Amino acid sequence: MIEALLQNLDTLLLVLFAVCALAGAALMIVLRQPMRVAMALISTMVFLGGIYGLLGVHFIAAFQVLIYVGAVMVFMVYVIMLLEVREAEGRDYSGLLLPGLVGFVLLLGTMGIGIWHSLPAHHHSAGNEAYGISKFSISFLNDYWLHFELTSVLLLAAVVAALAVIRVSRRANHKRRHG
Amino acid sequence: MDRTQLLLGLALALFALGLLGVIVRRNVLVMLMCMELMLNGVILSLVTFAQQTATTVGAALVFLIFVVATAEIALAIPIVLLLVREKRTLDLGAYADLKG
Amino acid sequence: MGPDMLTLIVVLPLLGFLLNGVLATRLSGNLVGKGFVSVAGCALPIASFLLVVKCFFDLQAGGYTPLVETAYRWALIGDSAFEIAFYFDRLSAVMALIVTGVGSVIHVYSVGYMAHDKSFGRFFAYLNLFLFFMLLLVLGRSLLVLFVGWEGVGLASYLLIGFWFEELANARAGKKAFVVNRIGDAGFLLGMFLLYQALGTLDMDRINAAFGGATPPAVAASLVGVLLFIGACGKSAQIPLHVWLPDAMAGPTPVSALIHAATMVTAGVYLVARLSGLYLQAAEASALIAVVGVATAFFAATIAVVQTDIKKVLAYSTVSQLGLMFLALGVGAYGVAIFHLVTHAFFKACLFLGAGSVIHALGGEQDLRKMGGLARKIPVTFVTFAVATAAIAGIPPLAGFFSKDEILWYAFASTRGGSTLLWSVAAVTALMTAFYMFRLLWLTFLGQSRIDAKVEAHVHESPLSMTGVLMLLALLSAVGGFVAVPHFLEPQLPLPKVQEALHHLELPLLVLSIVIAFAGLAAAAYVFGSGTSRAEALQRRFAVLHRLLSGKYFIDELYERCIGRPLVWVSDFVFLRLGDRALLDGTLNGLAALGQRGAGALGRVQTGSLHLYAWFVLIGIVGALLWSWRHV
Repeated sequence: MIEALLQNLDTLLLVLFAVCALAGAALMIVLRQPMRVAMALISTMVFLGGIYGLLGVHFIAAFQVLIYVGAVMVFMVYVIMLLEVREAEGRDYSGLLLPGLVGFVLLLGTMGIGIWHSLPAHHHSAGNEAYGISKFSISFLNDYWLHFELTSVLLLAAVVAALAVIRVSRRANHKRRHG
Repeated sequence: MDRTQLLLGLALALFALGLLGVIVRRNVLVMLMCMELMLNGVILSLVTFAQQTATTVGAALVFLIFVVATAEIALAIPIVLLLVREKRTLDLGAYADLKG
Repeated sequence: MGPDMLTLIVVLPLLGFLLNGVLATRLSGNLVGKGFVSVAGCALPIASFLLVVKCFFDLQAGGYTPLVETAYRWALIGDSAFEIAFYFDRLSAVMALIVTGVGSVIHVYSVGYMAHDKSFGRFFAYLNLFLFFMLLLVLGRSLLVLFVGWEGVGLASYLLIGFWFEELANARAGKKAFVVNRIGDAGFLLGMFLLYQALGTLDMDRINAAFGGATPPAVAASLVGVLLFIGACGKSAQIPLHVWLPDAMAGPTPVSALIHAATMVTAGVYLVARLSGLYLQAAEASALIAVVGVATAFFAATIAVVQTDIKKVLAYSTVSQLGLMFLALGVGAYGVAIFHLVTHAFFKACLFLGAGSVIHALGGEQDLRKMGGLARKIPVTFVTFAVATAAIAGIPPLAGFFSKDEILWYAFASTRGGSTLLWSVAAVTALMTAFYMFRLLWLTFLGQSRIDAKVEAHVHESPLSMTGVLMLLALLSAVGGFVAVPHFLEPQLPLPKVQEALHHLELPLLVLSIVIAFAGLAAAAYVFGSGTSRAEALQRRFAVLHRLLSGKYFIDELYERCIGRPLVWVSDFVFLRLGDRALLDGTLNGLAALGQRGAGALGRVQTGSLHLYAWFVLIGIVGALLWSWRHV
């Protein structure tokens, strides 16, 4: 098997990225300080982006890094810094560590066996057609323009909600100071 | 073990780890990040399956999921901020007001 | 005859009940005065009586074929129709004449007796109601209509015994009467069910025909006979269901006279006589009836000897005489029993009404030990009472002599169960009857006065409405025996054959009856003639026996101990505590508590901890996966 892998650099890189992503995820559970957890998550996401690239969907890889890491995780980091989280206060794990681990093992086992046995036989050799962003955007805006508009509505709703949150927080602040 | 199985196994592992993190970690922000991890695992499985077809449906869906995830996090964090300001702690154990 | 005359006879007293009940009671605020009540209350029964007389003449003109009238179809169930129909033949005629005749005069008597009572209207309403039900009973064609009347007179009896219900003892007496009657009714109902199942009809003429016919029906006549007799025991106060009658004396005296002497208690006798066709085929039942009858007669007579309340003596006397009537029925002499019923109605009503007159004169006193020497003060009452006493004792040629002698003769010589034993017990009873009745006469009217001085000053004769009735009834007691009732009823109720060997003893036994009557008179005169000293001496000598008899053989106490108390225990312990509280309430409350506790337990899942909820999600996912893959 190792010869087969070595013959295929693609697959080797894939395995490497997969292992690293997994390591990052595992670290998230273990690390104590939130900032370090955020870093671990960022690393996992970047490796996932790499996997997407190896699969041939480069633009999705780009989106992953741009949007997910660049927007979402940066926001997360800002919040952590804002809340000035000190060293982990009190205990680190909730009371359900052991039941959680048991459930985790069960889930892995159940789904793992499912994956192992019941995959349909058809293999498209994935990643052969690298498809580019132009092809994607043409078909996206031709066939899925409605969904695109609907997401813009969703974003509008998010903006309104954010404004409402600001107002609520301002009023709460006011009450606390002058109540 | 072929590529699809590997990727799906990875997706499963990410999802399971994220759920475990939600169950075991006490810090609210860490819980949020674990939920993001779960979402990433799902997106990975979606991309894997999408690659097996010749259409763009999967990719379009992934794109839209990114949008939704962004909107979600944009609102979840302010809510958490407000809560934290009320309770003055990030420990989820203090948030059990809706018991019984 | 008009088309609905029988129905009219029955309905007129009902009309009286409605009129008086609605207008003359507190319900409507006493709209009418006593005058209206008296007229309405008495005129309607008298009208009924006249109609009965007319129907009697119509019957006679028609060659005594029974008059049948269907008033109303009550129910149609499947194929069977239940109708309210009336039937008028010789037996019904005799009964109806007694019921309406004696009933009417007692209504007139009540006008005088209850004149000062505050519930005058209510009394007449109830009395009319009673008459209505009694007429349903005697004129009904089917056992069902009879049973309606049966229950109805029980109801009226309850209402009238407890007429002065403010006194708790009176209400209790009414309740006791009703409950004991109910026990008898259970037997009655069972008998009715058996008859209906076997014959498909409850019409009494058809029942008699079925049992007298060639092929016997599919049910044992004796079984039905015994069951119906149990009902008769309840209504006619035979052992062991006699306990209600002495207590029923708590009601006003006209009630005692009408219901508990002349008419209601004779309903049992009427029932057996009416179903003679059935009883002729039921030898065992007849034997039982004869034995129970004579035992009751003897038993009640022994108690009557020592009673000190004037009405209680008469009550036990009634039980005793009813026993003699059942003796006659038991040996197949149905007509003779009815004859004694008729004469008994006359003299017992006269005696009760006379007692009422005495009580009225003494301002409410009923204790014999506080009476005496009243003969000069209330002479009319005395004379009528004496005539009636002689009648019941069997002094010839008064009415009681004829009927009682016939009973004794058939008890001795009937081929349907007559025996020396029955005759001898009955004869001893007759002796005791004469004795205690003359004792009553002496203690009340003759000898030294033992009355309270205050009461003595106010002793006065009763008004004409009362004394007139007394005179009428005394006259009937005197000459009533000459109406040959058994002979009149013979075509319908044949007299039993007499044993050949004993034919020649008829005259000697007749003489013996006369001797017994006079012997009783003599004994009473001897013991009570000169003051109470001899009586008290006797009482001291037989103290134990006296106590037993005064305590009525302690039967009430026995029933209370053996039946009453266990029933109360079962009700309280088994039904109330176990059944109702522990089982039913426990189940309901338990279910509710279960729901509450279950909800409480389930509620503990919601701890508010997000970690726990997320863990449930995890477990749920695993579970769902496993479940969806179970067929893989």
